[in-house]
Amino acid sequence: MNVPGRGDAQIVERGFQRYEGPRSGVPGAIRSVSWESIRATLGLGRPARNKIFPVIAVVIAYLPAVVFIGIAVLIPGDILEPEDVADYPGYYGFIILAIVLFTALVAPEVLVSDRRNGMLAMYLSTPLDRRTYLVAKAVAVAAMLGLVTLLPPVLMLIGYSVENSGPDGLGGWLATLGRIVLSGIAISAALAAVSMAASSLTDRRAFAAIGIVLLLFATPILAAALVEGADLSPYWRLIDISTMPFELVFRIFGDPGNFPELATWAVLASNLVWTIGGIAVVWWRYSKLVIAR
Amino acid sequence: MSAIIETRGLVMAFPSTRALDSLDVSIPNGVTGLVGANGAGKTTLISLVLGLLTPTSGSLSVLGLDPSTSGPELRARIGYGPERNVFPDDLRAYDFVRHLAEVKGLPRDEARSRASDSLYLVGLGEERFRALGTMSTGQRQRVKLAQAIAADPRLIVLDEPTDGLDPVQRDEMLNIIVQVNRNFGIDVVLSSHVLEEVERVCDHVVALAEGKLIAQGSMAELAGASGGIEMELVEIVDRPTSIDDVAAQLVAAGAGVRRDGTTLSVVGLSDDELFDLAARSVAQCGARLRRLGNRRRTLDDIFASDDPGEDSQGGEWVGGDGRGSGGPS
Repeated sequence: MNVPGRGDAQIVERGFQRYEGPRSGVPGAIRSVSWESIRATLGLGRPARNKIFPVIAVVIAYLPAVVFIGIAVLIPGDILEPEDVADYPGYYGFIILAIVLFTALVAPEVLVSDRRNGMLAMYLSTPLDRRTYLVAKAVAVAAMLGLVTLLPPVLMLIGYSVENSGPDGLGGWLATLGRIVLSGIAISAALAAVSMAASSLTDRRAFAAIGIVLLLFATPILAAALVEGADLSPYWRLIDISTMPFELVFRIFGDPGNFPELATWAVLASNLVWTIGGIAVVWWRYSKLVIAR
Repeated sequence: MSAIIETRGLVMAFPSTRALDSLDVSIPNGVTGLVGANGAGKTTLISLVLGLLTPTSGSLSVLGLDPSTSGPELRARIGYGPERNVFPDDLRAYDFVRHLAEVKGLPRDEARSRASDSLYLVGLGEERFRALGTMSTGQRQRVKLAQAIAADPRLIVLDEPTDGLDPVQRDEMLNIIVQVNRNFGIDVVLSSHVLEEVERVCDHVVALAEGKLIAQGSMAELAGASGGIEMELVEIVDRPTSIDDVAAQLVAAGAGVRRDGTTLSVVGLSDDELFDLAARSVAQCGARLRRLGNRRRTLDDIFASDDPGEDSQGGEWVGGDGRGSGGPS
């Protein structure tokens, strides 16, 4: 065996030097800011206390999927009834708490902190501008929401498939996966836009989080009061940001959902309005911000 | 020498104020001090250089590019050290510097190694894995410098980089800044209100007041030997008027004199005449001389001469029939 001796030792020059290599430009900056925002939200690279809240939310989101897969594994297929395990659109009903927690946690952490501690001005002194900065942050928020809206049903699909309880055939499997992905994106987009809008209106994370939670709880109450209390048109339910994304998921899976009296196009339009409206508020707010170093 | 920052008729007007007014500035390579009181327009100029603001009118060129049209490309080549402590407190210094280097476009591996190298360069090699929130003010200032240079910029803009530092820390920070320029060829624009430190480390100076340029040029031009002499006298208990007597004699001989404590600045004649006159006056008045030499103009004088009503150093000029460089009107 060739053992390196002192004669093989070499000093590798170390220290600050000029860099002439390639630079990744704006796409790299967006990628880096998105990833760092995700790390911050999950408490990665931070003290343990920063991880508590996200871990709780993730556990709440994934626990039902694990339980349902466990049921599918433990109960023989010929005994297992469809109602013993959740269907994909119905799964969201089990994890609504995790989704609310994440919605209230993520956007304030991702957006408000930068304005409070001055990192926004730092980021805008890099290749990012306001538009690309917001794109980076939106990607981070949507990705984080996707962690609880997209991946648990995917995990369930994989678990069911392994236990031969999944969709029939490759075509059916891919169609189900496509619906799950579309559902996750729809929920994440609407909730990300709304939570980012709320977070753009205040410089206090707590206020933003409370505002998001209030919005998520107030709009269903208001919608119910208008439709059931005031006997107005059922289409007033479209103002309900808590329910409409999940109602859209039912329609994506071909299910009439909880409010069959509402046309699918109206449910889709409600989600689009919430999403586009949220984006508009965020852009309006950030285009008005005076950012000087 | 090429200009790294050049403005022509630059105006930045806000609804309530005109922060910069027809500014013509040319900043060459090297270390340049951007000086002025609060509200002078330093912050606005930095914000325009970084592309955070768009000028109302006029032109601005930074590294040959227009920040308002080539912002991303330009900002990838500028390092920025803000005055504010812009720290996520629970983030480690290394992660902070690495992240911002990545945002500036460096590949991940390169950003990692350069984050460490930058932190070593500023003297925080052993502290690089500490959370930012646990660092002292001096360490935080160094982290700000490290993140500014980590992505290997052509130019770094530092806003009050010695703010909150004690004299020893200030000296160390200024030495690092000079080292960054001299050893790595990175141009530096240093905004500061501490004129002494600007005089010490800067090759060039841009002085602003109320949004207007009041002086720019090399330090040698602006704050070097200025003509005239400076004499420091000793207060004598038995002759309490001796310093005033000397000053009176100098004025009577046609010189312009400004008294600052026990120091007299004297202008208005040739240096040889002034040295002779000073020696005679001291002898005739029975005064005692502690120091005699050529007078040096300081940045304080620039601001003092800009506003005759204020004299930042010493009292009013008396006597003399002409205005020397920094001397009496």
